[in-house]
Amino acid sequence: MTKRPNHIEDALCQMNENQWFTWTDSKNKIYANLRLTEKVGVNGELVDNSVTELPTESAVNAKLKELQDAWDAANGG
Amino acid sequence: MALSKIDVANMLTGATPVANGGTALTSGFVNGGGLTEADQWRVTTNFNGSANPVSSNWERNDTNFDKIGTGMSESSGTFTFPSTGIYRIQYGGVVSYSGNLRYCDYKINGSTDGFSSNTTLLSATDNASTDQSADVYIGCSVEVVYDVTNTSNNKIRFAIDSHQSGATQRCSSTYNYHYATFTKLGDT
Repeated sequence: MTKRPNHIEDALCQMNENQWFTWTDSKNKIYANLRLTEKVGVNGELVDNSVTELPTESAVNAKLKELQDAWDAANGG
Repeated sequence: MALSKIDVANMLTGATPVANGGTALTSGFVNGGGLTEADQWRVTTNFNGSANPVSSNWERNDTNFDKIGTGMSESSGTFTFPSTGIYRIQYGGVVSYSGNLRYCDYKINGSTDGFSSNTTLLSATDNASTDQSADVYIGCSVEVVYDVTNTSNNKIRFAIDSHQSGATQRCSSTYNYHYATFTKLGDT
């Protein structure tokens, strides 16, 4: 496995805390299969997901590029 | 003279115990031996920070794996046992973070009422890292032996309590990165 951010999932989990997103097909993690979870676990309870809107695909890609640039800068890329 | 046969009948009194896969045993080693329940689940999708319970993106291991017995059932992160008994539960994963991570707790919670109002911490362990100025990946594993006397009441949830909201729980849908294993050891 590579440690360099290389997938939109690397960006998504940096955009909000907890399990706020899921995939319709976890074997095919593409933006079209991205969905919000209904509930998240907080302090032992299942509560409504505070994230109510998916980020746009361009926003996700921009976040991934930001992470990659930061990683490259830190690793002499 | 080589000893090729032991005359057990003349060496024992009373009933001879069955120990070679016979029918005298009712659990553990039934019909030739082996476990009666073993199952493994994992979280497929990375997430950051804490989650209590870890409620989404669970799947049964589907990489060169098959459960033994009925297997566990899962709903919103609550795991239900297929039958009463003594179970060993293992929970492990990997967290990554760049910076000072004072703790990241992996917890196994049980209940006496199906998590209606009772949650009991059964087992926990921590990992941590000082600031390395780069992502550090830390593995962690915790386990407990749990007496399931009632499958409606004794259930399991898992939780992550992270010092840093930006710490990432590493997960995968193709291999076990953040996972739980359930093994029935015997009858309650």
